Amino acid sequence: MSYHKSIKPFTTHVPTWCPGCGDWAINSAIKRSFVNIGYTPSDVCVVFGIGCSGNMNDHLNAYAFHALHGRSIPVALGVKLANHDLPVLVVAGDGDTYGEGGNHLLHASRGNHDITVIIHDNSVYGLTTGQVAPTALHGMRAKSTPTGMIERSISPLALLVSQGATFVAQTFAGYLDHASEMVEAAMRHKGFSVVNVLQPCVTFNRVNTYQYYLEKSYYLGKEHNPKDKQSAMKAALEMDNERYALGIVYEDKDAPVYHEQVPTFDGGALVSQTPKRPIDVLTEEFLA
Amino acid sequence: MKDYYRVIIGGEAGYGVMTSGSLLSKLAASSGLHVFDYVEYPSLIRGGHNAYEAVFSRSPISDLVGEVDLLVCFNKDTYDRHKDELGSGAIVMYDPDEFDLEAHNHVLVPVPFRSILKEGNGSFMMKNTVLMGALSAILSADINWMYASLEKQFGKKGKAIVELNKKFVKQGYDYAQKQAGNKAIPLLSSETKDSAQLIMTGNDAFSLGCVIAGCQLYAAYPMTPASSVLATLAAWQEKAGMIVRHSEDEIAVINTALGASFAGVRSAVGTSGGGFALMTESVSLAGITETPLVIFLSQRPGPATGLPTWTEQGDLLFAVHAGHGEFPKIVLAPGDNEEMIALTTRAFDLADVYQTPVIVLSDMLLSEHHSTIARETVTSFANKYKPNRGKLITTADANYLRYGPSEDGISKRLVPGQKGVYFQANSYTHSSDGHTSELSKDRIEQVDKRAAKMSTYIKNDFLLPHMSEDIEKKKTVLVSWGGAKGAVKQAIRLLGTEGEHVGHMHFHHLYPLSEEKIKPLFADGVRYVLVENNSQAQFGQLLRQQTGVHLSERLLKYNGRPIHAEEIIQFIQKS
Repeated sequence: MSYHKSIKPFTTHVPTWCPGCGDWAINSAIKRSFVNIGYTPSDVCVVFGIGCSGNMNDHLNAYAFHALHGRSIPVALGVKLANHDLPVLVVAGDGDTYGEGGNHLLHASRGNHDITVIIHDNSVYGLTTGQVAPTALHGMRAKSTPTGMIERSISPLALLVSQGATFVAQTFAGYLDHASEMVEAAMRHKGFSVVNVLQPCVTFNRVNTYQYYLEKSYYLGKEHNPKDKQSAMKAALEMDNERYALGIVYEDKDAPVYHEQVPTFDGGALVSQTPKRPIDVLTEEFLA
Repeated sequence: MKDYYRVIIGGEAGYGVMTSGSLLSKLAASSGLHVFDYVEYPSLIRGGHNAYEAVFSRSPISDLVGEVDLLVCFNKDTYDRHKDELGSGAIVMYDPDEFDLEAHNHVLVPVPFRSILKEGNGSFMMKNTVLMGALSAILSADINWMYASLEKQFGKKGKAIVELNKKFVKQGYDYAQKQAGNKAIPLLSSETKDSAQLIMTGNDAFSLGCVIAGCQLYAAYPMTPASSVLATLAAWQEKAGMIVRHSEDEIAVINTALGASFAGVRSAVGTSGGGFALMTESVSLAGITETPLVIFLSQRPGPATGLPTWTEQGDLLFAVHAGHGEFPKIVLAPGDNEEMIALTTRAFDLADVYQTPVIVLSDMLLSEHHSTIARETVTSFANKYKPNRGKLITTADANYLRYGPSEDGISKRLVPGQKGVYFQANSYTHSSDGHTSELSKDRIEQVDKRAAKMSTYIKNDFLLPHMSEDIEKKKTVLVSWGGAKGAVKQAIRLLGTEGEHVGHMHFHHLYPLSEEKIKPLFADGVRYVLVENNSQAQFGQLLRQQTGVHLSERLLKYNGRPIHAEEIIQFIQKS
């Protein structure tokens, strides 16, 4: 394998994940996508959230910002606004994006910012040793819900499709090839793209196991039209019945992305522009 | 006539009090006068009492002073609220269609705004147009100034609209002129101007400071009294080549700005206390990731929602201590528009040099009151200003260490995007290459490295307070910070020769303070009076904590209103 076809340049320290954790596969899928697209570590910016997912930071070489819990998306938007030539990827968890940072996910979706968000969805908070995540099933018993979670679980794909994300896909960490394919498609999509990765937590989640997802997931077939919002919502809402559609749930290739609608960017990426400082023009406004 | 002239325009919110006020301030400034205006308004859009107050002066002015010379009452309530502030011989303008007034020692100028508008088929909302005509007559202004202003304001809406407005200006002018007769004041008759005057608020000055500094991204969520910065910069963004983003909440605001700053552009955020409270976790993130950021914090009285449209200096200690953990932070506090421009640009430099958050503290008084500044002062400052981006680099070799050791605590900061290199900005404790580390050695190395930045700052960039000339000869020294500056300066002006023994020490680089440099400024046998717009003497506490200097005599005001020069004079004369 030639150097540029190898994932090796992206690999650094050994991460702190349990053997069998779905994070390993997600990490491989991301690196494979980078290689397939032709990126080197200097070509891409990755913003990490906090959680087991975010701990990929030391296992993925890139220009990176390891942010706060829940806040990876607004940091990524800032990077993109400052340099829209730089591909920006967010690696975060279900607590990061659907819990603590829910508001940011919602608003980034409706802005159609050209970033990709990879969400590790294992229905549980692993790094804090096992509390329910917003995607946990109704009734799930965990450390913070000993008598079972009273809330119903969030419907992440429906949420994303309804709020204007222009690429919404779901994959399963047990299917590495499919996961790589989805991450790559999301990275290549122009606009706000999200991949919800169903990912067993082998230590703290005894419900949503590999076996569980093997039984309950299915590939979206040719009959599914990802361009049709109604079909997308239908596939998305299947999750409420513990039926997990895998594949591109929704895709709108024509929606204008955020940075293309900002006149200031006519002059190129912000970081490459020299500040204009038109003081004479601006002081005119205050002239008595 | 006397050196300064005080005006109040009052009425129900929503009827143009603020619009007429700003226009009048502009008119006075165009006549070469110094202007200080302030608007009191409740936190609602309609109803309640709005009052625009201004002083027009032939010499520099930095507070509302003196008895009221001209009171414009859009309603009876305004007269009742302000009649006790009227000087003898003051002019009271009112609408006889709304209510009747009896003359006491005042000159009554009834102007029937309502009838004038009704007869001329004008809308009730055009009251302020008639008023501006009437004020032009009373204050002896050239009516052509108002005509020109209307053409500028309504020109795009067509000739008919301009002419209609001109007609009402003329009617207001003629009516008031007839009523006032020889009582008209020769205040705004055209004078020779030394230099072009600008009239602006502290928020405008901050906005200009951002543009001068080459700030390329400003993010905010609207919050009084910082909101007008968002509107001003949003309107300028194309001209200035900026991105101005109204994010979904203050947490998104600060994290977006940090992302942009990480990517290499100068970034700032703006808010008030409540919004800043939401940002604090990320202030700490800026500290550990060593990401430059300018935070504009315009204070209003808290706690919680508090008094949203009033003023206080109540967030100093919050700003100083904001953020969990130990990390370097710089807090600056301008006291007027000139200082606001200078310190805003400096804040961007310090943020870049020390790769850490810098807070620019304002308050509602400073953020929203208008005052005059010579255009030349602003443009010459802007022309001389050269951004200092510190150790920002655009190329590095493969051995680059983002958090590499250095004696001054400051590591090289690479703009992401250079090929062949990459690095990580890390929220976790990290080693010098940015990777997460829990080793004792790395922890100590990085904590010490960040702390060293503050020693470097104290050595190289900490600036002493502004002090009056011959301060060592003064018997009494007034100590202020931030927005209280104007009142203190004005108090000393008002004292005239009596004030020869009164000095002023004004702090603007508030945190960290240098004990070594500050302590010697305070002498035995001098009466120091701390002047603060809060109830807990927050700067007094900070000064004592940081330098050991204890100021026991304090003038504290915390009713939501600004401190005034006359109150300071009373305070120092009472004992």
